[in-house]
Amino acid sequence: MKEPAGLDYEIFEAGHTKEWLMRIGPRDAPSILFLPALFEEMNRTRALTAATMRLVAARGLACWLPDLPGTGESHAALENCAWEDWQSAIAAAARHVSGINKLCAVASIRGGALLDGHVPAPKRWRFAPVDGTSLVRDLSRAGLMGGGGSAGYSPPPGLLAALETAQPTLAGDIRTLRLASDRNDADHKVAGSALWRRSEPATSEALATALADDILKWIG
Amino acid sequence: MVAANDDAEEVDATLRAVLVDVLGLSEARVAQFDESTPLFGALPEFDSMAVAGLLTELEERLGILIEDDDVDADMLETYGSLLTFSKAKALR
Repeated sequence: MKEPAGLDYEIFEAGHTKEWLMRIGPRDAPSILFLPALFEEMNRTRALTAATMRLVAARGLACWLPDLPGTGESHAALENCAWEDWQSAIAAAARHVSGINKLCAVASIRGGALLDGHVPAPKRWRFAPVDGTSLVRDLSRAGLMGGGGSAGYSPPPGLLAALETAQPTLAGDIRTLRLASDRNDADHKVAGSALWRRSEPATSEALATALADDILKWIG
Repeated sequence: MVAANDDAEEVDATLRAVLVDVLGLSEARVAQFDESTPLFGALPEFDSMAVAGLLTELEERLGILIEDDDVDADMLETYGSLLTFSKAKALR
């Protein structure tokens, strides 16, 4: 599939580190800042996130995805990162994007929703948001079962302690999507699989299409 | 976070969906699971990491808390034993 008007990477100033923003779509266009899922879930939903961004970008929007300090292509060591570093990095990414064109919305996947309160966007769209307690339980459980570490990730105790009490903000214009098989409340439910649980990363064009269609419809 | 729901059939449907998602099995195959279908030790996909994912995803989707003490080989032995456990947690 042809990339819609470009795939590119830019550096943004995230406090005391420089981090990468991936962009799909035209640079100077109304934009959406995507916030990835956290830890192993980030890797497992990378393809889904990129597919959703590509579909939204095909409609002329700039879709941006930041690396959090200590993850992705970041040069920072996760061991040295605090939860506040992630919060300020997200805020800095939002400033970078807002400086180019209008930031229409922030779209977060899973644990990304714990950080979207730091983005001054008029709308917050979330897919399968999760609270920090559940992520910490999953990390420690996976570490326990898999033998050592937190499932390959070694977040420092301070980050874990802050994550433990993190909740998605309730402020602002929020739209929440969940899987049809999820009993939690949502504005809309979509068919599909919890790809963040797959040991072998998979994507789903059907799910990406459902997510992209909902974002485009909602932001009007 | 979770709406109260005492529908046993919904717990059954959620458990099947989570097994599909975590183990990467087909919906058609999991739909055929019955009470006596063996799980842990019988499905190569069901390793210890999958157990961790299964427990957390069940917690999230059913709005329950599963303690380490709750988890043993008996609870994971068959579809029936896992369903009984899930209902006991979710429908109390």
